[in-house]
Order: sequence, then structure tokens, then C-alpha cells
Amino acid sequence: MDQALRPQEPQDDPEQLARFEQRIQSGDQIEAGEWMPEAYRFEAIRLIQMHANSEIMGALPEREWIPRAPTLARKLALTAKVQDEVGHAMLLYRVAETLGRSREEMFAELVEGRARFHNVFHYPAETWADVAIIQVFVDGAAMQTQGALRSCSYAPYARVLKRICYEEDFHIQLGLDVWRSLAEGTPRQRAMLQDALNRWWTPLIHFFGMPDKVSPHTERMLAWRIKVKSNEELRQQFLRRFVPIILEYGLVVPDPGLRWVEGEQRYVYTEPDWEELKRVGRNNGPKSAERLALRLAFYRQHAWVREAMTQWAAA
Amino acid sequence: MGGGVTVGAEVWERRLDTPRDVWAVFLQARTRDPHVHVGDVHAPDAEMALVLAKENYARRDPCVTLWVVRAAEIHTTTQDAAEMFEPAIDKSYRFGGSYRRQQQVYRSAWRLSHRDEDQ
Amino acid sequence: MAGALAAIADASTRAGFREWLLRVADDELIIGHRHSEWTGFGPDIESDVALSSIAQEEVGHARAFYAQITAGEGDDEDHLAFARLPGEYRHAVLVERENGGWEWSIVRLVLYERFDAERLGLLAASAQDPFAGLARTLLREERYHTLFAEAWLTRLARGGGDGRARVQAALDAAWPDALGLFEDTDVDARLAAAGILQGSPDALRTAWAAAVRPVLESSGLRIPSTPARTGGRRGQHTPEFDRLHAQMTEVWRSEPGARW
Repeated sequence: MDQALRPQEPQDDPEQLARFEQRIQSGDQIEAGEWMPEAYRFEAIRLIQMHANSEIMGALPEREWIPRAPTLARKLALTAKVQDEVGHAMLLYRVAETLGRSREEMFAELVEGRARFHNVFHYPAETWADVAIIQVFVDGAAMQTQGALRSCSYAPYARVLKRICYEEDFHIQLGLDVWRSLAEGTPRQRAMLQDALNRWWTPLIHFFGMPDKVSPHTERMLAWRIKVKSNEELRQQFLRRFVPIILEYGLVVPDPGLRWVEGEQRYVYTEPDWEELKRVGRNNGPKSAERLALRLAFYRQHAWVREAMTQWAAA
Repeated sequence: MGGGVTVGAEVWERRLDTPRDVWAVFLQARTRDPHVHVGDVHAPDAEMALVLAKENYARRDPCVTLWVVRAAEIHTTTQDAAEMFEPAIDKSYRFGGSYRRQQQVYRSAWRLSHRDEDQ
Repeated sequence: MAGALAAIADASTRAGFREWLLRVADDELIIGHRHSEWTGFGPDIESDVALSSIAQEEVGHARAFYAQITAGEGDDEDHLAFARLPGEYRHAVLVERENGGWEWSIVRLVLYERFDAERLGLLAASAQDPFAGLARTLLREERYHTLFAEAWLTRLARGGGDGRARVQAALDAAWPDALGLFEDTDVDARLAAAGILQGSPDALRTAWAAAVRPVLESSGLRIPSTPARTGGRRGQHTPEFDRLHAQMTEVWRSEPGARW
């Protein structure tokens, strides 16, 4: 991925840029409709659009288990949880819209395979136990990033993240309940849970991205508070919170090379294959094509409905 | 653009720059509460906006009534004009007693008026 | 603890009322299941979220009825929902049909909700507590289901293009199954004779038709005149339900008795 610094647009008024950067440095936030450098707008849209895309595509692995949920309570809880994800997408596309993109365009880009969404949602949810892993670990991973970004500089995004984090917390609690039932269940249930954890481990480690290169681009993202914490910081946060849960229930951490280094107050882990992450990032993951095709099929099926609504609105 | 009064080079008010099908949603949590902006929905018309707002914004939060209005109809003062709102001189003549005491009374009165027992 | 049904002295009447209640619960469970299948695939994000709420309320209503039916029986609501064979479910075939296009699902919801309002009204007016009380509570939520469904129906049918033709085709396809909601069996006669419920399936259908007619006609739709297709109330379901049932009970059956 090209991380080169986007050239400053000639239209970026240096006085306005200086004022803008000073405001951010003093901890201020930017509201919708205010002046911003084009590069800032570009990066903010990219971040928020990918987040919105991920919420929509994130619904797909879990929704497969709604019809199969093994109790009425789980059926309700899972439906509500996936509903929340779709709702988050709605909130996030609206934020991206305030930066100048049309929701229709962003959605078309996504379903036509021209946009990106987080790696974890390109993988299969093979068993009911995958639901527990997704709700605890995948949502837990997302929480690290989302929590940090609550102090990002774009106010509409920060506001929406507050609400998203509040709801995501419920999801993790619900996930822990499913996790507990399986971890404390029959030998088959425990085995199913361990197997799911094994399959999801690498995508989880990948989720936070490669350790950041020191570059002018990264520096600017941090200075502008579009990036708040480094990839490695977030990954370590995630491991600190979630590895103990695995151990508490007597399950095995899938990476035999993972261990806590007391002196350095961090986890060391087996370096994952970053090429896999790059492939998935190009929509070449195990389930990418299938899920995009499914979403695209519905998008096309609904074209007449969109048209009818447009005509109705214009009447 | 509105009347277009400008002082210096800066515009002090404008319409929100939103697509026509975006509706701002205002939610009244309990009777006697004010309606508060909780977010927006896309909808072809007001009735559909209300129908959609119910489940998109009131499925967890308490709600008695909802308002919707096209976001494009909303006018806003600009960030540039924010300075105008900051008091420059002593305006304590507006408040009974100290400013701090006034804030305390205001806040607690608001809380009292929204106590559940009153509903 | 003796169940609520135990209040009915006559065994045959009690069995009949239990079966009638099972129809209510099964209708709600299966239509809720179908609606939950729209998650993530709706025509717009806001409607996706709204229909998901409706699905949850339907499944929640089913759960409430199953719980009241099984109270005092020793089994729980999950057992009733997941352990029966396809032929033991008492929902109407209308609700087990696969979702089809958005217009089909909306048409089904419109027809079903007007029926459900009549049916719950009947139960609410009966002297059969706690079921009557439950019906009164659920009616509060049902109103929104009707609002959502009819708001969509109007816009699809009158939005222009070939919308009306598509909605008409969906209505034509759904009509025979919709009439199956009112399938008359000996259970209904038994309950009327025992004074449990004050309304025959025929009377219910008349009230329902009077309610849906203006809704459909004001959207420029033609009421079909095709006859009813029945069977659901007697456990005669379609291959669509076999597939639904297999999927719905798959995980539950994989480890019966386990805690999930």
C-alpha cells in the first residue's frame, strides 16, 4: 500500500492550514462544514468509510447463525447484535457524508468490490462457536481501535464512536455469555470453541495491521489526530485484555510462541504472515468474493425499489 | 445563502450542507423533556423518516415523541462566528447572585424538573 | 405450579385451546425467523434495522406464548420451539414461505399484521388469563409493524415505474396462503362451543378483509379472488418449511440437552 505523503493541494491556504493545525494541537475538534486541508478530508473519509463498510460486511459472517441459533434467547440476542452493527454502518456512512461523499456512491463502491473492509470479515464463520469468538475477540479487537479514536479530531466521528463503543460493550458481554456456556459445556462444545479460536487467531493478530513504519505520513496522521494510537499499542492492549480470558477458561492460546515478557510489560508473539493480510486487503480473502457477490446480488435486486423511492420523494 | 450579511470576509451563518433525503431526528425521552437531536436518517419523506427513526434511534433509549425535519432546512451559525458568543465584559447583572450559584440553581432545577417521580 | 391452561377443566377443550395458542406462537416464531433472514440485505440500512426490530418482537412474542403454554408442563419454551417435528407445528403456510423480493415480504407483512391484530384482539377480549393480558400487551407493539408494512406498501405500489405491477404480482401470489391463516378446523368449533373465544375463523376473515381492503385499494391494488390454500393449521407444511426447520434446529439438535 502506498503510504506516500499526499501532496499539499495548492488550494490549501497556508494561513488557514496553520490555524487548523494549531486548533488540533490545542486539543480542539473539527466540526462538519468547517475548513479542512484536502489531505485531512481524504484521510478522514478513507478511515470512516472503511469503518462503515466493515460494519455492513461484518454483519455477514454472524447473520448466518441467526437462523440456526440454538435457543430463543440466543436468537433474539444475536439478531439484536447484528442489527446494532447495521445501525453503526448507518451512523458511520452519515459521518462520511458530512465530509462530502454520497452514501449511494460509497455503498455501490463497496458492493462492487472497489472498496475495503476489515480483514476479519473476509473469513468464514463455520460453527456456532465462531459466534462466541467474533463477539468476544473480533468485537474486542474493534473496541481497542474505536475506543482510541473517540479522541480523534473529527467531531462527528468522535460523537458516533461514543455511541458505538457503548453498544459494542454490550456485545462483548453477550459474547462472553455464549463463550462461557461453551467453555463450561460438553466436551464437544469445548472442542468446538477451541477450534474456532484456533481458526480466528491469525486474523485477530492481523486486524491491527503491521507495526507502523516511521514515516511522514504516519507522523501527520498522528499530528492531525486521525490516528491516535499505534498499531502495536492497540494490539498489545487487545492481548492484555483478552489472553487472560482464554487462560481463565482453560483453553489454549493458539500461538505457542505467545508469552508475556515481564521486563518489557508486553507480549511477544509469533510474527504472522503479513502477505495474507495484504491479500485479504485486496478483497482476496477466503470469503471475500462470495460475500461481496451476495451483497451485490441484493443491491441489484433492490435497484427498482431505490428508483421507486426516488420517484416518490420527487413527487 | 440567506441575507448574506458579512462583516469582514467571513460568513456568519449558512444552511447545513446535507442531501435532500437526510432528516434530522429529535427525540423527547420523557414528558416535559425537550426534544434533543440524536442523529439523522435517510428517507424519501417525513412519514417514512418517523417510521424509521423509531427503530434506528429509540430502540434502547426511552422515547415519548419524535420530531423529524429535513436537515437541509437547518441553518447554523459558523465556527467563525463562535467568538461572538463569548462574553467580553462582566454580565453578572444577568444573574441573581454569583454566576456559580446561578449555575448550581439552574442545574438542580433542571434535574428536579426531570425527576421520574414527577411523571 | 399448575399452568394457566390447567384452569380449563375439560380435557378436550384444554387441548384445543393449547393447540390454538400454539398456532399464535408458531406463526410468530416462523414469520420472525423469516424477517430475521433479511438482516444485512434490506433495500436501505434504516429499513434493515427497522425490520430486524420487528423480527425480534415476533420471536419475542412467540417466546412469551411458548412460556405461558409450557408453564406447569415441565418443559421449557426452547423445547417447544426446537424439539417438535415439522408436522407438529401449527403455523400457516404463509409465514413459512421464503422471503422472495422485498415487495413480497412487505405484502406478506401487511396481510399478516392485519390478521394478527384481529386475532390478538379476539384473545384480549376473552376471559382467558394470563393469555388475554399478554395479548393486550403485545398489541401495543403490533401497531408499529402495521405502520412500517403499510408505509412501505404504499410507496412501492405508488412510487412509479412497474412498482404497482410487481406488488400486484406479490399480492396475487400471497393471497391463497393468506386465506390459509383462517383455516377452520374442529379445534375452532370446540373453542367456540366452550365459550373460550368469541369469534369463528370466518368472522375473523371478514373483519380482516374489511381492514385490508382499503389499504390495498388505496394503493391501486386489485383484491385477488383465488381460493384459500390450507394445511398449515393441521401440520401440513411445504418443503420450504422442511428446509427452515432443518436449519433452525440444526445446532440445538447437535447436542440435545446441552446449555447454549
